[in-house]
Amino acid sequence: MLFEIFDPKAAPRPIGIDLGTTNSLVAYVKNDKPIAIANCDGEILVPSAVHYGDKETVVGTRAMTLAVEHPRETIVSVKRYMGRGADDPETRRLGPYEFATPKPGEPNVVRFKVADRQLTPVEVSADILRELKARAEEELGRVGGAVITVPAYFDDAQRQATKDAGKLAGIEVLRLLNEPTAAALAYGLDKKQNGHFVVYDLGGGTFDVTVLLLEDGVFQVKSTGGDSALGGDDMDRALANEILLELGWMLPEHAKPKSLTPSPKLTPGVVRLVLDEARRIKHALTLAPEVKAGIPLPGGGEREITVTRRRFDELIVPLLERTATACRRALKDAGLTAEQLDGVILVGGSTRVPAVRTYVEKLFKQPPLADIDPDEVVALGAAVQADLLAGSGPKDEVLLLDVIPLSLGIEVGGGVVDKILPRNTTIPTAARATYTTQQDRQTGFEIHVVQGERELVADCRSLARFTLKGIPPMPAGLAKLEVTFRVDADGLLSVHAKEVMTGLEQTVAVKPSYGLDDETVEKMLLDALDHGETDLLARRLAEGRVEAQRILLATRKALESDAALLEEGERERIDRAMEALEKACSGSEPAKITRGIDGVDVATKEFAGRRMNQAIARAISGKRLDDLSKQVEKAKGVEAHVEDHARG
Amino acid sequence: MDPFATLGLPRQFDVDLASVEKTHRELSRALHPDKYAGAGASERRDSLERAVAVNEAFRIVRDPVRRAEALFKLAGVPVGENVEPKSDPSFLMEMLEQREALAEARDARDLAKLRALVAEVEARARATQEELGRGFLGASPEALSELVKKLGNLRFFRRFLEEASALEESLLDEATK
Repeated sequence: MLFEIFDPKAAPRPIGIDLGTTNSLVAYVKNDKPIAIANCDGEILVPSAVHYGDKETVVGTRAMTLAVEHPRETIVSVKRYMGRGADDPETRRLGPYEFATPKPGEPNVVRFKVADRQLTPVEVSADILRELKARAEEELGRVGGAVITVPAYFDDAQRQATKDAGKLAGIEVLRLLNEPTAAALAYGLDKKQNGHFVVYDLGGGTFDVTVLLLEDGVFQVKSTGGDSALGGDDMDRALANEILLELGWMLPEHAKPKSLTPSPKLTPGVVRLVLDEARRIKHALTLAPEVKAGIPLPGGGEREITVTRRRFDELIVPLLERTATACRRALKDAGLTAEQLDGVILVGGSTRVPAVRTYVEKLFKQPPLADIDPDEVVALGAAVQADLLAGSGPKDEVLLLDVIPLSLGIEVGGGVVDKILPRNTTIPTAARATYTTQQDRQTGFEIHVVQGERELVADCRSLARFTLKGIPPMPAGLAKLEVTFRVDADGLLSVHAKEVMTGLEQTVAVKPSYGLDDETVEKMLLDALDHGETDLLARRLAEGRVEAQRILLATRKALESDAALLEEGERERIDRAMEALEKACSGSEPAKITRGIDGVDVATKEFAGRRMNQAIARAISGKRLDDLSKQVEKAKGVEAHVEDHARG
Repeated sequence: MDPFATLGLPRQFDVDLASVEKTHRELSRALHPDKYAGAGASERRDSLERAVAVNEAFRIVRDPVRRAEALFKLAGVPVGENVEPKSDPSFLMEMLEQREALAEARDARDLAKLRALVAEVEARARATQEELGRGFLGASPEALSELVKKLGNLRFFRRFLEEASALEESLLDEATK
């Protein structure tokens, strides 16, 4: 198989990545079936741990083993810090890290102090993604874009951070996909069943619940809810606290004010070790009713402790109750009761805990489905979606319709939120609202974008602030400010403000409050390239070719299925543009490929518009193409041909 | 923008939501950006614009308040809480009483009372929607300016129900702890 690995012309393959709190993995579609990619040792899960040594950066299992000796230099569960501010409560929880306070003018993001460096969660996540990409390249030769999954309950800042990490890792992010939706896709295609499903996704650090309606290949998310800081890690922490208490190393945050102080024995290394031990005990309790464990003491020797499943179950009850609140609300938002559900799907490693299964069964009044490995199902779904987006999937019928998890709004007078887009709105979408000036001769208008369900700004997540300046002085109430929110198919928000009287406009991609601005990401990217990655030109060329191939494929498909919509001479013009693009691809100048792509774009623009109009007319009249499957077969033939040809 | 035209619907208040959902699904199948991921830049932009318009229209049409607002706007009747005529004082009095009852239910943590209140207001909201449905049919501009009060009432009901729903959630949470 060596020739395939090193064949520079091998068609790039789309991949699906589950970037998890505890473990990450990558999958792709092979012969219409998604499969997870293992390393040479047969391991599929890559522990989401990154060790920053003096000379090298280590990701995965080996980083985990280095964590106990180098707790501060080894970042685990980085996902919990994604898109969060430097002062986020998450940074004060039980953990071995030291965080840097941002200097004035620096973006307000979490920064880990690692030896003499400072690392943002985006950079750490990018290192995990690089590892996954390398693993995929080993298996597939070339990787052509990725779908990366995020918890459905991730807010805008957390999504943007994930996309930035992808970009930094040199991955073309085809789509950010919500984890429960990905899982439903993997299940739905497997079971070929219509109906209402709930996905209960309890991972290492995040909890999501999603209600979907599956109908004729359309996966429509009805509602979603969750907690982006709740998962198996919290079970470990609860148990670790219990162990530390037993060992007399009680923690300050859980201590009664006067009786306990942090023990000097409680070093970052001890915290890491006890957390790891707690996780091992939790895993063992899945099968055994009682587990004995030896906790190595810092000065040598061991202390044996016993944990019963019953005690563990008691410890996690508060966590399970938090999931129940989100589940009830999601059901209500979807307008359903537990009895109306056709199935409950379990996702995430933490759903292996027996108490979680029992709890879910009671909550939804039916035994949950868990026949696809809960650790792999998200990545498998992501691979299916990547395959669909790359246009190579056979299932043209399949479509995911997702929603925004949290309402989006702006601050109005008195610190109150005016909700512009309510939660559970289907994306992509847009909404507008009009405001007016409060004071005479007011020349600026501050726009504060927030996300959340609460009425007061102080209780919501601040996403961005910007000011529309240069409004000519007018009496109060005369200026009209139109604010437009747009959310794309990745769930990312951009805000556009316009003063109607003067036509003054401003658009912002919502990033600043808790994110890295584009400039910072760009700089990180260039730094990464300096550190020995392939040079920029080669990368642009490769990316250009991938895009060109995709466009050529899509254009051929379109020409074949809708030849009747072509006008006289149009086909010839399109063919000429396609030939020019093909020629550009065999050259080595990225700029020529870009021009060739633009050429095809111009030549097909009107034809594409007519095709879309036809599709709309069909959709509204309720007619569907009966010969769709036939066309898909044909289209697949073209693709297979392209691949064979490319492979030589 | 005319959300009714976008979804191929007649301009009327009464809609068959199940069939609107189906149309929305089929339009999404035809236009969703995922279906154009491999296409050129302008086609991708085009599909995104149209998918956004379809989802926006769907959001408006399936929500009675927004649906009514859209119909008034299309008929040239200005809407918005600052420009609409005020609701009748008697109606405002009634709503005040309902709010007091809600506050009582909150203080007494009385889930049964809360649910009874919700059922009552839901029934009134439904009745108002029926009035709007009839009112929009062949209404004169003067009649529409009067009808717009019903929209204000519907907003009151909705806000009440939202608050009641938040209260129910918190009472249920307390009950499980």
